[in-house]
Amino acid sequence: MNFSSFIQYIASGTAYTLGVTLVALPSGLVLGVLFALLYVYGGRVVSRLMSLYSTVMRGIPPIVLLFILYFVMSGSVNLSPFWAGSISLGIISSAYQMEIVRGAILAVSGEQMLAARAIGMSTLEAIRYVILPQTLRLAIPPWSNEAAIVIKDSSLVYALGVPEILRRAQLISASTQQPFLAYISAAVIYFALVFIANRLLARLERRLTIPSNP
Amino acid sequence: MPKPILTIKKLTKKYGNNVIFHDIDLVVNEGDTIVVIGPSGTGKSTLLRCVNLLTKPDGGEIWLDDLEITAKGADEDRVRQHIGMVFQNFLLFNHLTALENVKLGLTKVKHLPEAAAHEKALAELTRVGLADRADHYPGQLSGGQQQRVGIARALAMDPRVMLFDEPTSALDPELIGEVLEVMRNLSLEGMTMIVVTHEMGFAREVADRIVFMEKGSIVEEGTPDDLFYRPKYERTREFLWKITELYGKKEAKE
Amino acid sequence: MKKSLVLLVVLTVLGGILAGCASQGKQSVLDKITKDGKVMVGTSADYPPYEYVDDAGNKTGFDIDLMTEIAKRMGVELVWVDMPFDSLVAAVQEGKIDMSISCFNYSAERDEQVDFSDAYYTSEDAFLVKSGFAGAIVNPEDVAKYKIGVQSGTVQDDWLTTTLVEAGLVEDANISRYERVDQAALDLNAGRIEVLMADYVPAQALVKQYPDFQVVYHAVLSTGPLNIVLPDGDAKLQAEINKVIKALQDEGFIDTLATKYFSE
Repeated sequence: MNFSSFIQYIASGTAYTLGVTLVALPSGLVLGVLFALLYVYGGRVVSRLMSLYSTVMRGIPPIVLLFILYFVMSGSVNLSPFWAGSISLGIISSAYQMEIVRGAILAVSGEQMLAARAIGMSTLEAIRYVILPQTLRLAIPPWSNEAAIVIKDSSLVYALGVPEILRRAQLISASTQQPFLAYISAAVIYFALVFIANRLLARLERRLTIPSNP
Repeated sequence: MPKPILTIKKLTKKYGNNVIFHDIDLVVNEGDTIVVIGPSGTGKSTLLRCVNLLTKPDGGEIWLDDLEITAKGADEDRVRQHIGMVFQNFLLFNHLTALENVKLGLTKVKHLPEAAAHEKALAELTRVGLADRADHYPGQLSGGQQQRVGIARALAMDPRVMLFDEPTSALDPELIGEVLEVMRNLSLEGMTMIVVTHEMGFAREVADRIVFMEKGSIVEEGTPDDLFYRPKYERTREFLWKITELYGKKEAKE
Repeated sequence: MKKSLVLLVVLTVLGGILAGCASQGKQSVLDKITKDGKVMVGTSADYPPYEYVDDAGNKTGFDIDLMTEIAKRMGVELVWVDMPFDSLVAAVQEGKIDMSISCFNYSAERDEQVDFSDAYYTSEDAFLVKSGFAGAIVNPEDVAKYKIGVQSGTVQDDWLTTTLVEAGLVEDANISRYERVDQAALDLNAGRIEVLMADYVPAQALVKQYPDFQVVYHAVLSTGPLNIVLPDGDAKLQAEINKVIKALQDEGFIDTLATKYFSE
């Protein structure tokens, strides 16, 4: 087998890698934004809870949460390996994205909130029309970093036998006894995915940049 | 008989044991321009923020027309729609153009239809002389222009009263004039205004009454002539003499 | 014992508590297999020649052919579930798969979590070295003198840990554990380890792969009989599987398979 057939075999696992990423990243974003808002505007008790959530979820290795969801919880919810993986990565990513968004909110909020309230907006309206549009712009660069991490962490679902890039690299490495070629191929594919994702986000960031004089 | 728009009774604000101001009484009649002066840290800005409920007072009452806005259960968001606020640092919405800044309150708070909101916003920008900058973002405008957009944004809500919190102190000297000009015109048009400022020329020329605040209370209140030429208190005279000395040269240049 | 194995044990114990001991009074998995007309079998297809994928991406190997025949005899469709070796026992235990065939050996630890079928084949352990190896291995304990490599979580790993480390013959740090046996082979070739302990059959395959390698010792140490992993306490399923295995042994089917996959 040559390099291109290695790439071909391993790349056919990309659909799973992308699938896991496309579930985990957006759901982590929705939860992350929600939790960040609750953290900043939710009052003392809610804020403490969110802080606890963030600390716990960032402290758990993704693989442990994956096993908990797939094996331990199997009595109550029977998740497929794909969903167990996507959900656990989404949950952990939500904690990181919450921290990203929280930082951005704190950078924007305060005075912008004051200005919005001054024209008669409620807190919710101010968040929606003034705080979030600026926050999300600010969050893109760190978020692009998080996207790369989730793409790579999606390889963890191999532990449940989802035939994504890493698992396929392992299989072909074992059968051909050419681990170097197998893992280099996997690395090339992961790099390509992360590279493309970062370029797309950089383009988005440029498009959304607010014009100002130099 | 002039009709009071804003009545402040025994208003008090504390942060912990630190009294910012106490027992402030002030009546603002329709069409009045009140200029509040005094040394820094005497609670002038906090007083303005209390008037539009951005900060909660610890005691006393504020009445807007016949409504006590400090009463329990008052709709703060509604109250603020009727009280315009202009900030020292402009605080424009950075992600929106000048026009969108003025329009946002119209579409999202007053729920005006898009076309009507657009027309109204453009009219307010024209009023402050910035129709040609409608599509510029705050980052593309000078400080003076930003502050004029800030004024237009507040005016667009058709407020009963406008509050100005040191509107020119963050500006380069050459940009102060254009903002004061807009404010002077507003006053002439009969807008009810409370202005916290150190611009004594503006105070003398435009104010109906000047309020001198020091250490959290009102020391003296009267017409510009009263305060500048016949102050009742030595403190007032000293402060005005000092402030004119400080800012006088700059005014002479205008 | 491997860390991830400890983790799995903890998790599965937890799982038992959370699931409220739901396994009690459950029907036999055999009934479910018959009713659905299919059996879900887990394997870690990265261990040639027992289980691996061919160039076309299809699973093949000794275990794979054997299980295919077993399913055929049971008259049900065979659905393969590929999973890393470490996850297989937990998957059987939690009912994610019906059974697992993946070069499993009986171990007391595993027996607490799951059941085993009768042995379908008996394999040996081997010590591999690279040519130029100056030492000598007469007794298996002699390997304690050298840098040893082993695939983690396997019965060979277990044997090294109990026979050498716990007996104080070797420091645990002297044993290099690899996720997969081909990674260990790379290190043996590179000289990072001196002895590689592995199942005799794959060891022979490695010798073919690396002409410099040779088996200096082989015997039944840890490995021995291979069994299919079955859900705990499911006597009905166990009896059925044992019956099929017995028949295949009697017919010589398994010997034929062994010749096909293990002969040189």
